[in-house]
Amino acid sequence: MSNHWITNVRLEKGFKKDDNRITGTETEIVHLEIENEIIKSISKEMPNDSAVKYDAQNHLLLPSLREMHIHIDKTYYSGPWKACTPITNGIFTRLDEEKELLPKLLPTAQERAENMIEMLIRNGHTHIRTHCNVDPVIGLKNLEATMRAIENYKDSITYDIVAFPQHGLLRSDSVELVREAMKNGATLVGGVDPATVDRHIERSLSTVFEIAAEHNKGIDLHLHDPGTLGSFTFSRLADYTKEASMQGRVTISHGMALADLEGPAFTSMLNELQESQIDVTTTIPINRPTIPVVEIDRAGIEVSLGHDSITDHWSPFGTGNTIQKLGVLAERFKYIDEFSLNQILKYATGGITPLNQDGEQVWPRIGDTASMILVNASCTAEAIARRADIKAVFFKGQEIKNKLPQ
Amino acid sequence: MSTIVWIKNVLLEEGLNTSSNSSVETRTSLYHLKIENGRIARKQPAEESIEGGFLTFDAQGLLALPSFKEMHNHLDKTYLSLDWKACQPVSNLIERLNLEAIELSELAETAEQRATSMIRLLQSKGATHIRTHVNIDPYIGLKNLEGIRLALEAHSHQLSYDIVAFPQHGLINSNVPGMMKEAMRSGATMVGGLDPAGIDRNIEKSLDKMMEIASEFDADIDIHLHDSGQVGYYTTEKLIELTKEAKWQNRVAISHAFNLGEVPIAQQEKIAKELSENGMAIMSTVPITKTMPPVGLLEQSGVNVHFGCDGFYDSWSPYGTGDLLEKVARYSEIYGKRDERGLANSLKFITGGIIPLSDTGDVQWPKVGDAADFVFVEASCSAEAVARTPERKAVMFQGKLVYGEL
Repeated sequence: MSNHWITNVRLEKGFKKDDNRITGTETEIVHLEIENEIIKSISKEMPNDSAVKYDAQNHLLLPSLREMHIHIDKTYYSGPWKACTPITNGIFTRLDEEKELLPKLLPTAQERAENMIEMLIRNGHTHIRTHCNVDPVIGLKNLEATMRAIENYKDSITYDIVAFPQHGLLRSDSVELVREAMKNGATLVGGVDPATVDRHIERSLSTVFEIAAEHNKGIDLHLHDPGTLGSFTFSRLADYTKEASMQGRVTISHGMALADLEGPAFTSMLNELQESQIDVTTTIPINRPTIPVVEIDRAGIEVSLGHDSITDHWSPFGTGNTIQKLGVLAERFKYIDEFSLNQILKYATGGITPLNQDGEQVWPRIGDTASMILVNASCTAEAIARRADIKAVFFKGQEIKNKLPQ
Repeated sequence: MSTIVWIKNVLLEEGLNTSSNSSVETRTSLYHLKIENGRIARKQPAEESIEGGFLTFDAQGLLALPSFKEMHNHLDKTYLSLDWKACQPVSNLIERLNLEAIELSELAETAEQRATSMIRLLQSKGATHIRTHVNIDPYIGLKNLEGIRLALEAHSHQLSYDIVAFPQHGLINSNVPGMMKEAMRSGATMVGGLDPAGIDRNIEKSLDKMMEIASEFDADIDIHLHDSGQVGYYTTEKLIELTKEAKWQNRVAISHAFNLGEVPIAQQEKIAKELSENGMAIMSTVPITKTMPPVGLLEQSGVNVHFGCDGFYDSWSPYGTGDLLEKVARYSEIYGKRDERGLANSLKFITGGIIPLSDTGDVQWPKVGDAADFVFVEASCSAEAVARTPERKAVMFQGKLVYGEL
């Protein structure tokens, strides 16, 4: 395959210091040669070969973003405005609503999922992990719509589809449906609150692990249960993970209880999760305590971000803009300095930052997959604090954002 | 001579529909509005044709909202229009103030330029009123005031404004009271104050002095009160007493007022009633790191609550957007305002209390005689605008287009 160039790219190359305090970020302008989906060379001299050149106009290059928790199968996005109905019976108000709503949304499910994927691409994502309802109301029909939508964007994104028994794996008797979903394209086994939804922690968890083992797939569970109930569930999840030798293949979504723990109980929970190599995704909620992202990360537990909803019957809010979400993360935890703002990018990129903690340039390297974005900012810290616009998105070397209908 | 302008095809809210499951939808229609001398002179259904011969804008179905009021900003502090700079971490407020003191004189020269950039940013997000605080302190004297006044005066045909003389480094501090009086003679329109306990360390003297200056210049008051818990509460009580004594009812605002949300509910209820009786307003920046004042209780008690962006892109905060609509979305998300009316009602905090419809669906705005101050957005109703924060297509002040195009 022939090579091409992305010229006039701004890369971060180190931190500016004043008396050992990091005061800013140094950048340089370079040109990237792309071949076979990877970065083949990085040059300071403008190439004079005849290969195709894409001019990055000195915009800052960052790794592309990962949307790690979303539901593209049930959304009002791109459809007519609809506010949420008032809640009368907690989460069950929403579950009851789905009985009517999901069949009504089905005819537009694929179209809306596609619009959502395009919106996420415009916002710099090249990986999407979507949960997809698998339940007695809609059966596998949402999964089919989601698969068709994703198939149409397989040249622009990588993905995971979590078979998600929204109405309870046990509670709604969806075990066989989840099994079917795993045979029909789902890539991860999902679940929700083994205690308060399924009302049987052990049976719920053991069934999830059983299905995962049958299909040799990973796990991603919605765990909202708070306090000691949530932390007990995490603890059992960690036990099951070790017993099944599933280290590194299990995700806790939301993990609200991590925001409720303190002192030794928190530390010991982090140890358990780290030992089982369980990772965590969060939406950085502002209407309840946010899990302490950086402390969890420092304990060696990978944290990633997701938008969850972009307007649906659960919530009318949501933008799909992960740069904005990083800004909320910064604001929530008062990260106001150059170094902190720079480093929190990792939660949106699968751990990649252009500069490591010592300020050494570690990305991009020759041989890296050329999935990246261009933003109008002088450095990562500015991009996050001032919510930079995304100018271009590259997936394996190909620009994909500006090719979409704008 | 009167100036007449027509705005065609404006989408306006005209009523509510309640469906069987008690969820509410907003009904809208297209109208033509005749603007005479900055006020609405006529409102007619779009089916009726309009008189020719006048300047006519076509809103092409965009929704009109009442324009926004930015009620807490620091135009003098922003770095906007200068190079990116993150903040320096500090361990307490005194350190922050010391750092600011060093920086103030460096920044003073560009005050007008920086303020102008901030004004334009706020306008582009829909604000047609700006209340700015301006430092009056021993380091900068009245130097910032001059630049801010010039910047605002240059935009006086596009917005209304208040300039609060703000003793950021303490009111009971060397010759600051004299400077404050000088500021009141030099363009400041309101008297400010700051943490009578935490900064001035003499609650009574600080409040007395502030009230004395306000009386001398017959000016309204807006005090920054971050002092938390019971000491902040005592300070609020003392300010209410002084307000009554001076007969300064309807002329006093308290910014931030975290303490109101930190004391027991019975105390919150008592003070909400007193604030309401004395027509005192609360300004909040909708923080996600601190306790908010109890906005719902205050509102029910008849206290006017207004939102502001606070200073941003400055030595205190690297993030912010200048977007008041986003503040309302944030408020709605924090407080679970997810249904049609909850979202629509929240708009009042950025419009000086104006919302298009009452809860019974009666049209409250716009009416003949109202100021022609509008924000135009692509949305089907104000609830959608709050939840989805669409871009601002145009902003109008007294019938004049001050941002965007129609």
